Amino acid sequence: MSQPPESPKVSLFVTCVVDQFYPEIGESTVRVLRRLGVDVDFPSAQTCCGQPAFNSGFWSEAIPLARGFLKTFAGDRYIVAPSGSCASMVRVFYEELLHDEPDLLEKARAVAPRVFEFSEFVVDVLGVTDLSSFVGQTGDTSDRNVTYHEGCHLRRELGVTTQPTALIEGLPGVQLTEMEQVDVCCGFGGTFAVKFSDISTAMLQDKIEYVQATGADTVVSCDATCLMQIGGGLELNGVDVRPVHLAQLIDERIGIESGISRAQPR
Amino acid sequence: MADGREQFLRTVRQALGRDQAATPPPKSGEADGESSIRDRASEIQREAEDNADALMSRLHEAATEAGWNVTRVASPAEAADHILRVVQDLEARSIVRSAHDVLDALALDEGMARAGVSMTLAAIGDMATEGQRQEQRASIRESCISADVGLTGVDHAIAETGSVVLLPRRGVSRLVSLLPPVHVAVVRRGQVLPGLDELFALQRLDHIEGDLGSYLNIITGPSRSADIEHTLVTGVHGPGEVHMVLLG
Amino acid sequence: MRPDTKNFKRGAAKALGNERIQANLLGLYNGFDRARLAAADGTPDWELMREQARAIKAHTIDNLDYYLELAASNVEKAGGTVFFAKDADAAAGYVTDLALARGVKLVIKGKSMVSEEMSLNERLTDAGIEPVETDLGEYIIQLAGETPYHIIAPAIHKSREEVTDLFEAKLNSPRYEEITELAAEARRQLRDKFIRADMGITGANFIVAETGTVALVTNEGNGRMCTSMPRIHVAITGMEKIIPSMDDLGIFLRLLIRSATGQRISSYVTTVTGPRHADDEDGPDEFHLVIVDNGRSRLLADPELRESLYCIRCGACLNACPVYRKVGGHAYGWVYPGPIGAIVTPVMTNLADAKDLPFASSLCGACREACPVKINIPRMLLHLRKEVTEGRKYPTERNRSVLEALAMRLWRLSLSSPAALSIANSVARVLQKPLLRKGRIRWLPPPLSGWTPSRTFPAFVRPFRQRWRG
Repeated sequence: MSQPPESPKVSLFVTCVVDQFYPEIGESTVRVLRRLGVDVDFPSAQTCCGQPAFNSGFWSEAIPLARGFLKTFAGDRYIVAPSGSCASMVRVFYEELLHDEPDLLEKARAVAPRVFEFSEFVVDVLGVTDLSSFVGQTGDTSDRNVTYHEGCHLRRELGVTTQPTALIEGLPGVQLTEMEQVDVCCGFGGTFAVKFSDISTAMLQDKIEYVQATGADTVVSCDATCLMQIGGGLELNGVDVRPVHLAQLIDERIGIESGISRAQPR
Repeated sequence: MADGREQFLRTVRQALGRDQAATPPPKSGEADGESSIRDRASEIQREAEDNADALMSRLHEAATEAGWNVTRVASPAEAADHILRVVQDLEARSIVRSAHDVLDALALDEGMARAGVSMTLAAIGDMATEGQRQEQRASIRESCISADVGLTGVDHAIAETGSVVLLPRRGVSRLVSLLPPVHVAVVRRGQVLPGLDELFALQRLDHIEGDLGSYLNIITGPSRSADIEHTLVTGVHGPGEVHMVLLG
Repeated sequence: MRPDTKNFKRGAAKALGNERIQANLLGLYNGFDRARLAAADGTPDWELMREQARAIKAHTIDNLDYYLELAASNVEKAGGTVFFAKDADAAAGYVTDLALARGVKLVIKGKSMVSEEMSLNERLTDAGIEPVETDLGEYIIQLAGETPYHIIAPAIHKSREEVTDLFEAKLNSPRYEEITELAAEARRQLRDKFIRADMGITGANFIVAETGTVALVTNEGNGRMCTSMPRIHVAITGMEKIIPSMDDLGIFLRLLIRSATGQRISSYVTTVTGPRHADDEDGPDEFHLVIVDNGRSRLLADPELRESLYCIRCGACLNACPVYRKVGGHAYGWVYPGPIGAIVTPVMTNLADAKDLPFASSLCGACREACPVKINIPRMLLHLRKEVTEGRKYPTERNRSVLEALAMRLWRLSLSSPAALSIANSVARVLQKPLLRKGRIRWLPPPLSGWTPSRTFPAFVRPFRQRWRG
């Protein structure tokens, strides 16, 4: 089993959506990172990075949350989020949000280089792409046909394009089928999804069609919010495709004996 | 018609946060002195000669891709034969042509006459008075409107894009390559430039020498449109069929 | 064109409900957008060129006053006339007065979005002058009495059957079934106009300051007709279209054309420097360049939005935008639709009315990825959203919903500390109980009610923070 020589130290930035709606994604993230030899902690003062308010034009509401984030995640540990969008908020958009707050901006610039999305951290920092050597006894080895949905912020703000699929392809028993228009938005877009629900829905319908056309049994993404959109649509349309986060897929495939203590996966 | 130029520029300056006109540090090639523009132009011309063969081949390929019917011929006589064949295949009755030297060298008159095709030179006479010029302009227009084929030489061709370039010059009406439904362009060896940048570098030379023409046309393939249902159609306003004859 | 930006949602719904329009819009992805990618792949140094073009634009726009004067003086040296129009009205007035003064009866027009800003056709018609659009798409739009749907392909929403109906009704033409027949009919109809017209009006894709040259990109040849057949040529352009030197033209032509249609070059690229010379065989006696501000100086003055003036109007952001590809061009309510339109329209017209436009985006960033000059459209959308809700730069145009502001405050307070979040979580888990079906929420009240008709919503659960035990 290949393991990085030193144990990298990571603070989990779980994100408010995962915290409140999808804690199992957070648990999988922790288990996988630990399995890869990472020292993970969870700064408990974290709440939200402020993106929903920022995206809605309420910058004055977003700034206090950014301040809280920067305080919570001060230090020198890596910051890893199971979300391309939330990672890009901190790494890219704090630069805009905090433009007129020089003190905070300075902190944001110090934090930015430490922020990583999960798959990006695994591939680029840990240097792991082939996960087959990590498969344990409880790993699920049944054949699975998955398709990958590319999150927009992950691709275009963070420039993470190949890492997630590289990880998926390294999982034994998993067949990856690319969907049509894989780089096109699923229509989530935060408050856009409710403010312009007709448009958001039309985008979602296309996405569902393209997911179905692959014949995949599972749709994988690196963002819980995309999964909220796609999964919500799949369920209402009675489409039998399971939405999972990449960390969950990896977690299931490699199997793990001891994760976070006392935490029950699903 | 009051020109609000001063007010307009004042508004722009205010928007830029200054109240006085500023002279910016030059960007890109603007600062090039005349000598460097001349040097570059001669270098381009030299390379067009030196690499004439390779450039001709590249042009051949790119022009074909762009929708030209391209034929490479070795001699003026072969070019004349080919053009005659094209005209006969089209069952054309009338041709209008520009006064490019390369066309004079083809000596097409006799062949066309034999084939029963009337060929008109769309050019204003050298000695024309202003009144005559007006008249001749009107008649050039008429010839171009009614002709079945327009035949021109070119000033340059561009290998990168598969284009020919036509500049204003004595005896060359831009309507010859525009109004008839078919355009035939004859490109001579040595006229092919590698790309757009070289063309515009030569335009800069014309500019500093006070020779910049009133227009420049880069023509690449047939007139086309995909405005209805993304479906490509040719010959919308300009020629729908275009032939490029590579000579030499 | 009078802005109608208040009805974005209504316009969007109309397009969403029209299957034929949806099919045509899908064609933008498979047609233009993929063609752009292929063209970029086939161009050596594409990324370098984008960087260079952006740098040239930034430099030119930052020194726009200088380059405007340089361009104007060079147009004049070449024998042309330059008019600076502070707004659409002044520009339309100049062109109409010129036409009247020269006894112009018939005007042929190439595609010009700036002339749409000016409602030029209406103004000319009111003055008793006949304006005829000659770009096939624009011609269709003019016959239909509509406005362009797309800046590159104005009639892309129309099917061939609709064009057949239109030609039958307006031109008395037979019921053509083939697109080639429709195009041939337009050629016949317009050929006569080209021959008779007294004035040709075009836009300008670029103005080269160093030489006073206007560059025009067309595929049909109508641009060449407009610049060479009539005795007067008027080019109308927004003031941002300037580039410093002839040396820059190659880069910009490549970027524009390959981003717009994926062609290596368009069928015709024409440059015009002043009117016909005395010994030219043909060409216009007069050349006029009309340079239009019409609200662009507001974009220039806003450091966050200034880069919107780098736009070369290739339309790539429209084709790449998943929202544009659903709602089409008319929903945006003015001349410039799509991502770039969502930036420039609110500022050039009125932000309070057009407040929906910057919000009608999922911020996916496909526009920025497609933009040949790398304009950061999502960043500007975010800034405009802030202006709508907080109104710092455009205080009189603030237009925020009180309810939304209240909801946002409550939301933020619930996240102000882990303790507050725990309370909020507990409250939410109680409140959601009546809404739960098999652990999912199938109905939500306003302001979230838009979610549930097409999606189920996840339930609040015992949060990760409570499960975490180091």
